[in-house]
Amino acid sequence: MMNYIVALILGVFFGFALNKAGLTKYHKIVNVFRFTDMAVLQFMMTALVVSMSGLYILRGLGLVTFPVVPATYIVGNLLGGLIFGVGMALSGYCPGTCAAGAGEGKLDYIVPGLLGFLAGAAIYGLTYQQVFPAISAIANYGNVVMPDLWNLNPYLMVLLFALMSLFLFYMIDRAGWQRKDMLKDE
Amino acid sequence: MKFILNYLHKEVWSPYVAGILLGLVGIAAVWISNSLLGASGAFENLVGLIGKAVAPAAFDNMYFNFIMPPGITTSVILIVGIFFGGMIGAASSGTLKWGAKDTANSDHQWKRIFGPQTWKRWLVAFVGAIVLEYAAGIAGGCTSGLAISGGMLLAPAAFLFIAGMFASGIVTALIIYGKRY
Repeated sequence: MMNYIVALILGVFFGFALNKAGLTKYHKIVNVFRFTDMAVLQFMMTALVVSMSGLYILRGLGLVTFPVVPATYIVGNLLGGLIFGVGMALSGYCPGTCAAGAGEGKLDYIVPGLLGFLAGAAIYGLTYQQVFPAISAIANYGNVVMPDLWNLNPYLMVLLFALMSLFLFYMIDRAGWQRKDMLKDE
Repeated sequence: MKFILNYLHKEVWSPYVAGILLGLVGIAAVWISNSLLGASGAFENLVGLIGKAVAPAAFDNMYFNFIMPPGITTSVILIVGIFFGGMIGAASSGTLKWGAKDTANSDHQWKRIFGPQTWKRWLVAFVGAIVLEYAAGIAGGCTSGLAISGGMLLAPAAFLFIAGMFASGIVTALIIYGKRY
């Protein structure tokens, strides 16, 4: 029961953050691929820097243990990402933003979105045996994190990631990596 | 105090502020329940439930019996939470759309590029959603379950996924927007 209450509360804050970042709007998602609004990238990278630093520090202090790390199987992760990007650019959703957008009461999130995800899940589950075992067997490194895989200091990696993100934010906000959107003038 | 309240009522926040909030949620998930955030798995749990009721023979396979057993899992509850979180967020800025007109094709940019027809938006969004969920299955998670949750633990899988997602997203946008990219 406690697990369910925690999941519900985490979900509410997650959905709230997605809404406030503007990611429950079609144009916000698609425009990151047009380089005219980089909010998706800024939002994701900020979340990563915060959670990464927090979790590695908490683990260092012995306050948390990591849950099972998402598995690395190079071809599947990359191929999945490649297919995923097509779906994002077509629909302007991710599974999470679609659920949050549905909560806002938008019909084009509630009907084609939620039904599409259910249909996709059914098709995936019914073809799983023919597809997944073969793909995930290629270059499979298991449930690994980069500091362990390459024997690097984890704090140094987190710091490098944070610096890289700050550099990226600077380029987006100050150095013109975000294009002016010509559509706005039409 | 007034500033904070005003900010809560804003429709769109700085992506950095919203990102800090998401980062804290990611930490809380691990710290409190030793779990990771994720959205795509919930649809697999849910469709298993529906499938086993409607077509039990077809859904009696390895995947729906053992890999993603159907049921109201914590992933499903999390996505219910996301639904209400979106609702509360929109309510706080007065942009809630329940019962409003013109939400069947809700985005001004979409309408400008592809026109006002609802069927077109719904067809493309439906196909897109199928593609997203299938891809998340192959990759081992979606933007939240793999990119954010894996990335914050420094899993290589997350960064491979993000690289693929941006590469094909850019190419797809180039193709469908054409001259108006």
